[in-house]
Amino acid sequence: MASIDLDKMLTKIKSTQWALSDIDWDAPGAELITEEQWPKLKDFMADLMWIEHVGARAFAAMAKKAPTDTLRQIYTYFHAEEQRHANAEMALMKRWGMLEGDEIPEPNINLRLVIEWLDRYSDDMPVYVLGTVVPMLEIALDGALCTFLLETVKDPVCHQAFEKINDDESRHLGVGFSVMEMQGRGKTFIGATKMLAPLLDPRLMLGIASYVPLLNKMRDNIITMGLPEERLYAAMAKFEKIGGRTEDGRRNPWFQVIRQHAKLVVNRRNRAYHVPVDGMVKLTGLIPRRALPAVPSWVKELTYQPTA
Amino acid sequence: MTTSSASPKKAPRKAATRKRSATGKRPAAKKAPAVKPAAVLIVGAGFAGLGMAIRLKQAGIEDIVILERANAVGGTWRDNQYPGAACDIPSNLYSYSFAPNPNWSRSFSGSEEILGYIHHLVAEFGLESHIRFEKNVEDLSFDEKKGIWTATTDKGEQFAGRAAVMAQGPLSNCSFPAITGIEDFTGHKIHSARWDHEYDFTGKKVAVIGTGASGIQIIPELVKQAGHVKVFQRTPGWVMPRPDFATPAWNKKLFEKLPASQQAMRNLLYWTHESMALAVIWKSPLTRIAERVARLHLRRQVKDRWLRRQLTPDFTIGCKRVLVSNDYYPALQKDNAKLITWPIARLSEKGIRTVEGIEHQVDCIVFATGFDVSHSGTPFPVKGRAGRVLGEEWQGGAQAYKSINVSGYPNLFMTFGPNSGPGHNSALVYMESQLDYAVKGIRKIIENDLKMLDVKEDVQRRHNRAIQKRLARTNWNSGCKSWYLTEDGFNATMYPGFATQYAAQMSEFEERDYEAV
Repeated sequence: MASIDLDKMLTKIKSTQWALSDIDWDAPGAELITEEQWPKLKDFMADLMWIEHVGARAFAAMAKKAPTDTLRQIYTYFHAEEQRHANAEMALMKRWGMLEGDEIPEPNINLRLVIEWLDRYSDDMPVYVLGTVVPMLEIALDGALCTFLLETVKDPVCHQAFEKINDDESRHLGVGFSVMEMQGRGKTFIGATKMLAPLLDPRLMLGIASYVPLLNKMRDNIITMGLPEERLYAAMAKFEKIGGRTEDGRRNPWFQVIRQHAKLVVNRRNRAYHVPVDGMVKLTGLIPRRALPAVPSWVKELTYQPTA
Repeated sequence: MTTSSASPKKAPRKAATRKRSATGKRPAAKKAPAVKPAAVLIVGAGFAGLGMAIRLKQAGIEDIVILERANAVGGTWRDNQYPGAACDIPSNLYSYSFAPNPNWSRSFSGSEEILGYIHHLVAEFGLESHIRFEKNVEDLSFDEKKGIWTATTDKGEQFAGRAAVMAQGPLSNCSFPAITGIEDFTGHKIHSARWDHEYDFTGKKVAVIGTGASGIQIIPELVKQAGHVKVFQRTPGWVMPRPDFATPAWNKKLFEKLPASQQAMRNLLYWTHESMALAVIWKSPLTRIAERVARLHLRRQVKDRWLRRQLTPDFTIGCKRVLVSNDYYPALQKDNAKLITWPIARLSEKGIRTVEGIEHQVDCIVFATGFDVSHSGTPFPVKGRAGRVLGEEWQGGAQAYKSINVSGYPNLFMTFGPNSGPGHNSALVYMESQLDYAVKGIRKIIENDLKMLDVKEDVQRRHNRAIQKRLARTNWNSGCKSWYLTEDGFNATMYPGFATQYAAQMSEFEERDYEAV
């Protein structure tokens, strides 16, 4: 994947917009969801929708710190597009009778912690931190979760929606990897070390403390739902391959950090990592919901309705 | 066209005959009869055109013709009659010092009252007889041999003058923005500068696109009337509190009985605004203080963190126009209002589709999207010496000498020409400097019976080099996109300095800078 022209990409993004109303959510096919599939799919879709939604918020934070106006505009669009994906996934859940009334599926405690962190601190993070985490999550989403979903769900409306979502995601990945390379370009040892300095920032430490157990929990959830583990390994290998295909990409210290971490997450056999992180999952599970602040209002922007 | 008798010291020059229309389109222009030139031809009967006429009359020049494209005076204040329209500079400063009004009802008056003041100027200074209504100028050409400017209207009529003043205003044209699908929308469309007073908003679902100076004034009023208002914002602006209050009766009486007290108030307002230049024109410690004040205003009025984030600008205060409002933020938080910051993907038959995939269906869209500002052209063809066309010369960005004269276009004066815009003080303060400078130039033309008074090219070039150098250090050129800049980032709009500096620049008419023929 050669480095892309961001101005041309912005034009392409603007000209390839779609809306929920482009899809007939009442078209036949919902009945193809089997009774056995339904409960697992419900949990899977809720997780998927929430990943898209927190990804959207991460793009909003990246837009604030984008180094150029073009990239700022691109991230602003990606923020909205990720929200569109979450909306479309909610519309699928509605179609499949997975929403109770008009309620947004309840986020689990680890998601709540990540949402809280994004709301409070993400805007203060340098663009290269989230700019590396987000492509890794997207590649997992694109390469593992969505593929798995389309293999197991026969509903044509689901396929129609994910065809559009995947088109968007491929552009997100293209920009994501290009930016990772830009951030690594010409980096000396000192420059690269400076980029790692935010690791000492207590705000980022808090972020890591909420993000790490979430990943473990999600990983286990989706494996329980039937996603073959190899898919995650393959997705991480893809991240390593594309992110590290150039000298610039490899020189980005955050690529190296995220790459190593992703390997740890997918490899369940690494007990040195998983035992303490699973402990964190258990510990966070003890946090009473009422101890958490109210969900930020950006969460309430989610909707499954094509018109408002 | 014949003008009233003039009082210049020397007789007007012979009438000029236009042999052909400058546009070359209208047969009427080819056969145009001889046109007796006025001493001064003014295009536009807004604040600038009328102010120009007043100052000329006060200087003893009565032979003035004002061409107005509409059928009423008032310019921008006639056109901008949307609900909530008001000035964001205190009325005691946003009025002419040579025509004080002791009876302003509020510290920041509404557009209707300002328009009333403009009508008062017409009556007070006997301008009505000078104005030719419904004369939409489509061409302004200079006859080098005769030293005459001729304006040709869309109906082929011609008007001539020894000097011409372009006072059509920089913000006088508007159009719907080029949003994909705008022609597909079947609901009602209103532009803020061409308000539809017949449309009843009661119970309607309304979208407002744009949150600039007009948008933030319209929105609170619409929220009071409409069923639901969705506000589509691209970039939030810095909003400062507005110290607006009704003028007490004793205050009006005091200003009336003791005009010096009103002048003192004007001076106080002037210097207060001048000090703001340090915050909004250049980056200084005061810039941070101004931003802090705006942030506190936001924090006080908006409790929700996400909404505050959506409303917090990313650029240095002053880079775009600073907004003032006390009721904009509260209006956005009413139950029947919603701020939408998702980018607009397109307009559809029933409403606005935003990039998060939702179609926001509405009955009416209000476009508070500003004006068609030309940084690199002219509102109509302006032809100077040796067939020069101003719009062509300005393609790389408009340039003038002291914002008022352009080399190659003798005897032509501009109000709010290139690099005359204020970011911190009353536009009328700048305008007064321009009017008085133009009077000096016009007097020289008439008193010395000059055919041409043309600023020297090298003088103009030097002036612009200095202006652009100074602009590079201002907040306007600090990286944000605004209507002040061309697509290439050239600033042909703003004056990089205090109003006092601008007034000093305009105080002397340096004859050596001009070629007089």
